[in-house]
Amino acid sequence: MTGNQREALIEVEGLRVEFKVRGGKPFVAVDGVSFRIFRGETFGLVGETGSGKTTIGRAIVRINPAAAGVIKFKGRRINGIIPKDLDREVTHKIQMIFQDPMASLNERAKVDYIVSEGLYNTRNYTDEQDRQAKVQKVLAEVGLLPEFATRFPHEFSGGQRQRIGVARALIMEPEFVIADEPISSLDVSIRAQVLNLLSELQKAKGLTYMFISHDLSVVRFIADRVAVIYKGQIVELAGTEDLFRSPLHPYTRSLLSAIPTPDPRVEREKTVMVYDPSCHDYSREAPHWAEIREGHFVLGNSLEMAQYRALLA
Amino acid sequence: MAEERVTGEGSAVPAARAAPAAQDEMLFTFAQYDEQAAERTGYSDYSYWGSTLRVFLKNKVAVALLVIIVTLLAFTVIQPILPGQKSPTRIYTDPGTGIQLRNQTPNREYWFGTNSIGQDLWSRIWSGTRTSLLIGIFVGIWEVFFGIAVGALWGYVRQLDLAITEIYNIINNIPTTILLMLLTYIMRPSFQTMVIAMCATGWLGMARFVRNQIIIIRDREYNLASRCLGTPTARIIMKNLLPYLVSVIVLRMALAIPGTIGWEVFLTYIGLGLPLHIPSLGNLVNEGRQAMMSPSLRYQLIFPAAVLSVITISFYVMGNAFSDAADPRNHF
Amino acid sequence: MSEPILSARDVVVKFSLRGQVLTAIREASLDLYEGESLAIVGESGCGKTVFTKTFIGMLDANGWVDSGSIMFEGKDLARFKTEREWLSIRGKKIATVFQDPMTALNPLRTIGMQIQEVLELHKGMSGVEAREHTVEILDQVGIRDPEVRYSHYPHEFSGGMRQRVVIAIAIACDPLILICDEPTTALDVTIQAQILELIRSLQRRLGLTLIYITHDLGVVANVADRVAVMYAGDIIEYGTAEEIFYNPQHPYTWALLSSLPQLGIKGKPLYSIKGTPPNLFSEIRGDAFAPRNPRALKIDFVERPPYFQVSPTHFARTWLLDPRAPKVEPPETIRAMQARYARRAV
Repeated sequence: MTGNQREALIEVEGLRVEFKVRGGKPFVAVDGVSFRIFRGETFGLVGETGSGKTTIGRAIVRINPAAAGVIKFKGRRINGIIPKDLDREVTHKIQMIFQDPMASLNERAKVDYIVSEGLYNTRNYTDEQDRQAKVQKVLAEVGLLPEFATRFPHEFSGGQRQRIGVARALIMEPEFVIADEPISSLDVSIRAQVLNLLSELQKAKGLTYMFISHDLSVVRFIADRVAVIYKGQIVELAGTEDLFRSPLHPYTRSLLSAIPTPDPRVEREKTVMVYDPSCHDYSREAPHWAEIREGHFVLGNSLEMAQYRALLA
Repeated sequence: MAEERVTGEGSAVPAARAAPAAQDEMLFTFAQYDEQAAERTGYSDYSYWGSTLRVFLKNKVAVALLVIIVTLLAFTVIQPILPGQKSPTRIYTDPGTGIQLRNQTPNREYWFGTNSIGQDLWSRIWSGTRTSLLIGIFVGIWEVFFGIAVGALWGYVRQLDLAITEIYNIINNIPTTILLMLLTYIMRPSFQTMVIAMCATGWLGMARFVRNQIIIIRDREYNLASRCLGTPTARIIMKNLLPYLVSVIVLRMALAIPGTIGWEVFLTYIGLGLPLHIPSLGNLVNEGRQAMMSPSLRYQLIFPAAVLSVITISFYVMGNAFSDAADPRNHF
Repeated sequence: MSEPILSARDVVVKFSLRGQVLTAIREASLDLYEGESLAIVGESGCGKTVFTKTFIGMLDANGWVDSGSIMFEGKDLARFKTEREWLSIRGKKIATVFQDPMTALNPLRTIGMQIQEVLELHKGMSGVEAREHTVEILDQVGIRDPEVRYSHYPHEFSGGMRQRVVIAIAIACDPLILICDEPTTALDVTIQAQILELIRSLQRRLGLTLIYITHDLGVVANVADRVAVMYAGDIIEYGTAEEIFYNPQHPYTWALLSSLPQLGIKGKPLYSIKGTPPNLFSEIRGDAFAPRNPRALKIDFVERPPYFQVSPTHFARTWLLDPRAPKVEPPETIRAMQARYARRAV
């Protein structure tokens, strides 16, 4: 299962996203990020607040414009100005699940409208009956009762609302779904429900996910490959178990050491590594992004690369 | 172990107490697990408009004023067709002497008295209220539709922000009084002039207000979701943004009417109001002001001022009460 | 370990909302021993914050303690009626650290002043003395260059630093008990680890007794000596941290632990509970968790279970521990934990 044989659904090369700041230089949220997402996998993107992970997701769905770089979907560029039919295809095939179930649904609209909104836009149904049937089908797929369609969002719990959000994305029959911290705002026991739902749907429909999170333990459970992002740059990318077993970049290591484990004995004995960016000396040589082992990429200058290679040997 | 209070680490209440005797065995078997019932437990019977109405009705003052205003409005409409009403413009003369019945204090014939040239004040007041309210309603409706449309586009479509901001700034920086005076002077005072002039300046406040509100909610996640789904801008404004602004829009609408009447009174005061043959609250207040000094003639000011005050206060209070009621945070 | 320093018994807290009465806390009991760190775990709406608010008299205006007692230093806190009575307790003997440092600090005053004010008020210190003490406290909570940062405003600090300031204000008066209400939920993982370490070291150094409220079981494992699990306004299981993690007995605790992705096996679905917590407006008959429990017994819907003892320190409110109940196997992940515990205990 080497990378060459799998189809790259999404390719991001040198992506750079800036935000205008009043009276000054633009703030660079994402700086030169490159990665590929293969069909059928769950790609995890991990970082802390302000790291730029949400921005990357939003750039792919074309909510945030890219200042530089290329985003390709099935080989075709989708950032910047694109022809209308490609835009329609992107709306159809790439969907997003948002973080806060309390803010991501229109409070004044019924669930029926919320879920069908995408259908109305792409006119992807034959008649009213067909549309209703599609809504019912998708509600059942996410485990909601059919009578929920006539109600308003405030009548539902956080977990149910998040499932409505999933239904809304699912009804478009997408190929690629970006889940932006879909469970961070939910209670612990409800998280499991939503995670299970996402896994089931992936198996049933052959979806490809980009799972954005700050919670490494969730990502470890659900993702096939993980990218770690720090202040707008991806510092390490590897298969999940590979990353957890042999983390190379000091930021990755500090992140891993800080994950809380539900085991009192382990927790009491652990020591937390603090990441200090000044441990890198990039004054003489800027860091570059390289594949240090098959499927395992790291950001560093030649000196650090040599060190990492020594570690893996 | 049964009944004693255990002290020490993790003190407890008594452990197994005397348990239900007879149906023991049956009770300790598994119960039917209804998965769907578990799914249903979250239902709350909350309706936004229902709660808004409930909160509004709790405000006794607002409800009272609402009743008063509705009665007043109804009366201005039916007053002309009631029996025994006089014409507001006709000058009444004493049938015997032929002298104009000027400055008659309120009596049985002329309920509100007459003004300085013998016109019946009662019918003038109601006619004047009708005119002023009509101007207020026209301007109010224009303010709402045009103001909201401009404000929504201004706030939501980033490319228009600069252009509309400049237009707004230009118009806004000219004092409204001067603008109104200029327009009425150019177009000559008349009913249409009043309406057009006030429409030209009235939409600014609403547009700005709506724009600010939209900027606040524009980037909320549910709007981003709609963009992701490809929803066109018009539908986002209509279905996602405006429903949230209903309460503030109604408030501004309610305040538009007394505001317009206020401007009309002011313009009349400086002589640029409606022509004298069209009674309006502005004209009436102006006439009354001229008669104000002599105590016996003060009624000519008191009556139109009272009507004007009732209208203004009612709309302000009701508008605010409704706006508060429509705020979900006040819903219980 | 002798007498508890705080002892809550059968506390019932009610709220008046939309014309109806909601019972937020249903006869909850808790003991707190000196120097320990007790975690109260539960999901949103279970009442953990409300319960601790009764200890400092900070229930919302539409809430009240209906019955029960909260004994602290010989006084019953549940009986306090006036603000004056609370002044000697709140901030002085029992201090709180809240979740959001941004709203807990006054943006218009320097952080130094906010700490100093507490000292002047509760400890009657004079200006100079208070200032010196403040700088010392800032140093204790790990803020570098405390002399300089004394005159900085809250917005000049990062999230983690702000939380340190809030902790500084809380410990300024040498309180006996420190209640931490989800202090790290809004922080990043790495900052969270540092704050937890800070709290632990402060506890050791100052001999604080800690009540830690959280929904994050990883945090509980890090901080707590004892754990109380709360559901629908009731404490349904409590014991030492090891007992709760390695040998949980209540189906809800099982569900909570097994739904953690850390304990999940990749490729297999996580154990999850259906449904939502019960409506607290209506009266709850029997075990509150029963409708969501696939292994509920009929008696769970009839009568509320009493506490059953699992060990001198471990109690759980579930009919499954009754000798007459059928044997129920906990989920796989729990069984694995139990096996590990048994091995280590030996």
